[in-house]
Amino acid sequence: MKRYVYINDDDSTKDLYCDNRISNRKYTIVNFLPKNLWEQFSRFMNQYFLLIACLQLWSLITPVNPASTWGPLIFIFAVSATKEAWDDYNRYLSDKKANEKEVWVLRHGIKKHIQAQDIHVGNLVWLCENDEVPCDLVLIGTSDPQGLCYVETAALDGETDLKTRGVIECPSPDKDIRRFDANLRLFPPFIDNDICSLTIKNTLLQSCYLRNTEWACGVAVYTGNETKLGMSRGVPEPKLTAVDAMIDKLTGAIFVFQLVVVIVLGIAGDVWKETEAIKRWYVKYPPEGQWYELLIIPLRFELLCSIMIPISIKVSLDLVKSLYAKFIDWDIEMYDPESGTSSHAANTAISEDLGQVEYILTDKTGTLTENRMIFRRCCISGISYGNESGDAIKDVDLQNAVSTSSPDVIRFLSIMAICNTVVPTKSKSGTISYKAQSQDEDALVNAAANLHMALVSKSGNMIEINYNGSSVQYELLDTLEFTSDRKRMSVVVRDCQNGKVILMSKGADEAILPYSDPGQHTKIFSEAVEQYAQLGLRTLCLAWRELMEDEYREWSLMFKEANSTLVDREWRLAEVCQRLEHNLEILGVTAIEDRLQDGVPETIEMLRKAGVYFWMLTGDKQNTAIQIALSCNLISPEPKGQLLLIDGKTEDEVFRSLERVLLTMRITTSEPKDVAFVVDGWALEIALKHHRKAFTELAILSRTAICCRVTPSQKAQLVELLKSCDYKTLAIGDGGNDVRMIQQADIGVGISGREGLQAARAADYSIGKFRFLKRLILVHGHYSYNRTAFLSQYSFYKSLLICFIQILFSFISGVSGASLFNSVSLMAYNVFYTSIPVMVSVLDKDLSEKTVMQHPQILFYCHAGRLLNPSTFAGWFGRSLFHAIVVFVISMHAYSYEKSEMEEVAMVALSGCIWLQAFVVALETNSFTILQHLAIWGNLAAFYIINWILSALPASGMYTIMFRLCRQPAYWLTMLLIVAAGIGPVLALKYFRYTYTPSKINILQQAERLGGPILSLGNIEPQSRSFEKEVSSLSITLPKSRNSVYEPLLLDSPNSTGRSLGTVTPFDFLQSSSRLSSIYSRDYKTN
Amino acid sequence: MSFKGGTSSEGSTDSAATKKSSKKPKYSKFTQQELPACKPILTPGWVITTFIAVGIVFIPIGLASLFASEHVVEIVHRYDEDCVPSDYSDNALAYIQSTETNKTCKRSITVPKQMKSPVYIYYELDNFYQNHRRYVKSRSDKQLRSKASESDTKDCDPEAVSKNGPIVPCGLIAWSLFNDTYRFSVNNSILEVSKKEIAWKSDQQYKFGSDVYPKNFQSEGLIGGAKLNESIPLSEQVDLIVWMRTAALPTFRKLYGKIEVDLEANDEISVVIQNNYNTYSFDGKKKLVLSTTSWIGGKNDFLGVAYLTVGGLCLFLAISFMLIYVFKPR
Repeated sequence: MKRYVYINDDDSTKDLYCDNRISNRKYTIVNFLPKNLWEQFSRFMNQYFLLIACLQLWSLITPVNPASTWGPLIFIFAVSATKEAWDDYNRYLSDKKANEKEVWVLRHGIKKHIQAQDIHVGNLVWLCENDEVPCDLVLIGTSDPQGLCYVETAALDGETDLKTRGVIECPSPDKDIRRFDANLRLFPPFIDNDICSLTIKNTLLQSCYLRNTEWACGVAVYTGNETKLGMSRGVPEPKLTAVDAMIDKLTGAIFVFQLVVVIVLGIAGDVWKETEAIKRWYVKYPPEGQWYELLIIPLRFELLCSIMIPISIKVSLDLVKSLYAKFIDWDIEMYDPESGTSSHAANTAISEDLGQVEYILTDKTGTLTENRMIFRRCCISGISYGNESGDAIKDVDLQNAVSTSSPDVIRFLSIMAICNTVVPTKSKSGTISYKAQSQDEDALVNAAANLHMALVSKSGNMIEINYNGSSVQYELLDTLEFTSDRKRMSVVVRDCQNGKVILMSKGADEAILPYSDPGQHTKIFSEAVEQYAQLGLRTLCLAWRELMEDEYREWSLMFKEANSTLVDREWRLAEVCQRLEHNLEILGVTAIEDRLQDGVPETIEMLRKAGVYFWMLTGDKQNTAIQIALSCNLISPEPKGQLLLIDGKTEDEVFRSLERVLLTMRITTSEPKDVAFVVDGWALEIALKHHRKAFTELAILSRTAICCRVTPSQKAQLVELLKSCDYKTLAIGDGGNDVRMIQQADIGVGISGREGLQAARAADYSIGKFRFLKRLILVHGHYSYNRTAFLSQYSFYKSLLICFIQILFSFISGVSGASLFNSVSLMAYNVFYTSIPVMVSVLDKDLSEKTVMQHPQILFYCHAGRLLNPSTFAGWFGRSLFHAIVVFVISMHAYSYEKSEMEEVAMVALSGCIWLQAFVVALETNSFTILQHLAIWGNLAAFYIINWILSALPASGMYTIMFRLCRQPAYWLTMLLIVAAGIGPVLALKYFRYTYTPSKINILQQAERLGGPILSLGNIEPQSRSFEKEVSSLSITLPKSRNSVYEPLLLDSPNSTGRSLGTVTPFDFLQSSSRLSSIYSRDYKTN
Repeated sequence: MSFKGGTSSEGSTDSAATKKSSKKPKYSKFTQQELPACKPILTPGWVITTFIAVGIVFIPIGLASLFASEHVVEIVHRYDEDCVPSDYSDNALAYIQSTETNKTCKRSITVPKQMKSPVYIYYELDNFYQNHRRYVKSRSDKQLRSKASESDTKDCDPEAVSKNGPIVPCGLIAWSLFNDTYRFSVNNSILEVSKKEIAWKSDQQYKFGSDVYPKNFQSEGLIGGAKLNESIPLSEQVDLIVWMRTAALPTFRKLYGKIEVDLEANDEISVVIQNNYNTYSFDGKKKLVLSTTSWIGGKNDFLGVAYLTVGGLCLFLAISFMLIYVFKPR
């Protein structure tokens, strides 16, 4: 489907396409109630409780007052609905803010101020500098005479580069931000009536920011939710945690168990009725019953047993979960003083999944790195600067060299200042600021300025340099642009002082060093490059050559010709450039640090120790990605690490390389080796499309992966792939390009950093710095999981306990479905008596934070569902059965014969349960704070107070009961007996397990509290993932042998041509792959 | 019990203070989850001590309970079989259901030990499900309480209304009121049976109205149990009040009355029983129980035995834990 956008023609397209109103809302005021109810009732649990509540309205079968189910049910529904309504209201507010933003639009030839939501397709939109682009526009004019405008696209692809966009204008809306294949035809009276093609380069996409351009003007082509960003926004699915899933499963199991109990008891009840009850004249069964007579007893049991599934579990879980979230918000140790942001949990429901994470997919720029390049070291003519201090600008030797005007240093610095596309702008106060397309260039120019070689202005072709106070002028003749293929850029300038034509080049070592003058020894430079790379620095080689006037003139003609070809222009240009860039004189090497954020390597190391797999997904270049991965411990150097490459431009090639990698991976998984694979966006797309199975296998095998040049939707696809294999994924990113991945992942973490808050807003958790991730996962994840595991199982335990007592009672009440407890007790049991002490388990800590951070391995136990799985649940089930028997047998025997009054016996049994509850909670609590004591013992006291109050009300059925009981010594003896008989075996068993088969947590607890040595923690890791020891010995300070890392790649790569350079060409495969990527992008341009 | 988080958070406090950001979360021990906590762990010493302590406490309590229970003098006399005349022994049901037969039955009981007053008289029913769902719900507390809700009989089915209007007291429980009576005499002198305070005072005051009089009770159809004197208000019908306190177990005793004099050992008590109540249709036993009481209640060895068992087991466990710990500390 094509869409025709008539520029500035309000009438014809106004109704055809949607307006620019953004809506993320789920409900409207009208449909809120029905839709929300529908959604709530689509949950099985809610349907079940509704059915029970309805059945209770039938007084013939209800054992208790219907209010005991209706009350909690309505309460639960109201709580959930309120929460949904509040969330939706907040979404509405943020939409409204975006929709009502004022923009300039051309209407009927007049520039008008309208709200962003009123923009229609075809409108001409005016933007001023620093404006956010309100919808997808096709650029038709800017303030720049060359028709350029700079856009900060951070929100789209994660790079803060300022990208040059050509001037000028569609298919149906889609989400692909790399493609926009459209045509523009201007109507008469324009003379140029030809169709001219438009690409993505001609567009301004929504949510970008206009920078360094006074104004720009564009035609709205996609608006509202149909923009590229809007389409890729996707609907975030509600996330269900592993714990929730397990609870659902267990609920299902309990439901089945309940059905069995109901059927068995129902049949038994009917049989008893037919054989026994009929003889009992005092029951007065009519000889002929209703047709439904046989159903009554089973239904009574169904209602009696409905308490087996705790109705309060969802509410109590919601409550404690929001408290976990609050703890994350409050955590002072996750507060980033630099940006002044504290961490925030937007999604309150998934904290326990933090402890279940198996894969972390991380963005690179801005997430791992600070996205701030700094010039650190350099090597000029074989002399290294900045090695001692780590900062070349402060190196006294270099400063001396500058002040003595050492010619090599001067040349080196002038290349740093000139050979770039940086635009200097002078502010009114006279200070010069630079606007650079790449952070590297920015770093170099700034460094040069600091070394007294300041780029002052670029006006037209004249470049003015201020060196030590004296002004030097150059005439810029040609710019040989940087492409990812060539990996270098050059400028040709004429020195205005002596008229010499000079070629200045800078680029990756493998793109510069091979083209050096044959007479020059480049070994010293390649050694420098190697040394810097080992330190994780980004290196660039600077070189120059004086050109003969004739040579330049000859080449210049070719260059101009190539520049104007229409077919294969890029390729032709590269070829022409190649002709000039040879016999270069290498001047030196610069080393730029893309500084890693504080604590990144430690965080990654710690999380990898905890058994988490790390994948790095970046839109960045392959070599940069690998360097960063090395420096932040993501991949290990040879011999521990091995890097495998998947590349290829066709399906076949990708498949072959995938197979090869897979083979290597299969072999090496048995070895304690750290194998990682590297894949680029193009190969990834083919692999995902055609070889999904093989790629999935690879994904499972691989502990580490680096995916370069991937698009936002590919990131999301990778997350989906891992999720489809049932892995818990956590995606962390900082830019708008990570939004989809963040939304797709089980847990999305956004870094609220310099690139705006888009990711942070879409994420479940936002943190200020990457390093907080370890605390988020290890501390908060660990605690939340422990607490929820206890809370949920305990909820089942207490419900089962009271239900088992009811079932046991039915055996001595003629299997008639009578309830031992009255409605008030039953309701209060679930609502007050048992839910408060367990709530304070949110303060429980099995281990101190320090221990958790020191032994990240214990995260494994969360992975394995250590605390919440069918077997632990079976333990709780057994415990509730045992306790029910204890309570029932003891209270029935202690209160037999003349004491067996129904209300009294019921109260004795209920108090027995409450006493047991208190001790069970106390036994399962690892750390008692004052609040826990208060809740556990205070609750016990509250039970008596509530019942004394109820016993003081003449109207209540329990009138005087509790006073009577409390006066009897036998009652207190019974309680003591119940506690001893119920807790004794549990304590003995727990002690036995604790002492003779302790879990690693128990060992740590002992070590922590008794101060003893930690025994045999090495075995903590399960066999299948036992790489930790190797990883742990690694640290960033270890020298990383660069060659050895890449050697396996060379063996793997069929494209390796083995050009001799003095050193092995480590980046060979990179070249070949980037060559493809250019072909690939060219394909799309020609389409 | 110590917390080390303090130092690092102080550090961040300082650096943040210079930035003066308002977003910084406030520090409190609760929000940082740093409340001082006691973290007990299950050390052998702790666990063994606990078990020994429980054992040491429980065994004396058990002995005391057993002693108290032994001290109670209890006479249980089953009469349901013996009170059926021999010619009806094959058809006890017909005997009990017939209005013609003579239900009077004389029994004699020997007092084994001296019984201090008050001696409680109970009747014990066995295999009688007062807790049956159909039975236990068949009552109207409102109707019992006040005259105004006389017609509130919706739960009383099938003993709710008669031809002449609502039955008071309605429901199966009241309808099946126990109607055996006992008369005691010792050495030919009649023993007074006091009915004072056999029902709960609270029931008499609040649960059974003093202005509610029996009406249409046992007036038609099948006659269940005892009839009630229509001139006495429900609050004074103590036998009914006792009966209406339903039992949780199918075997239960209900207070019939009290003998306010001491009974000496080897006294022959002769009892004249009006054997009216039908337990023959479902093989229920009827027993007459005379019992004194103690601080622990009536004669019930359960608590004593259970305490001794639990205490003994705790000591046993403690000793075995100790032994295991000595031979295999870990």
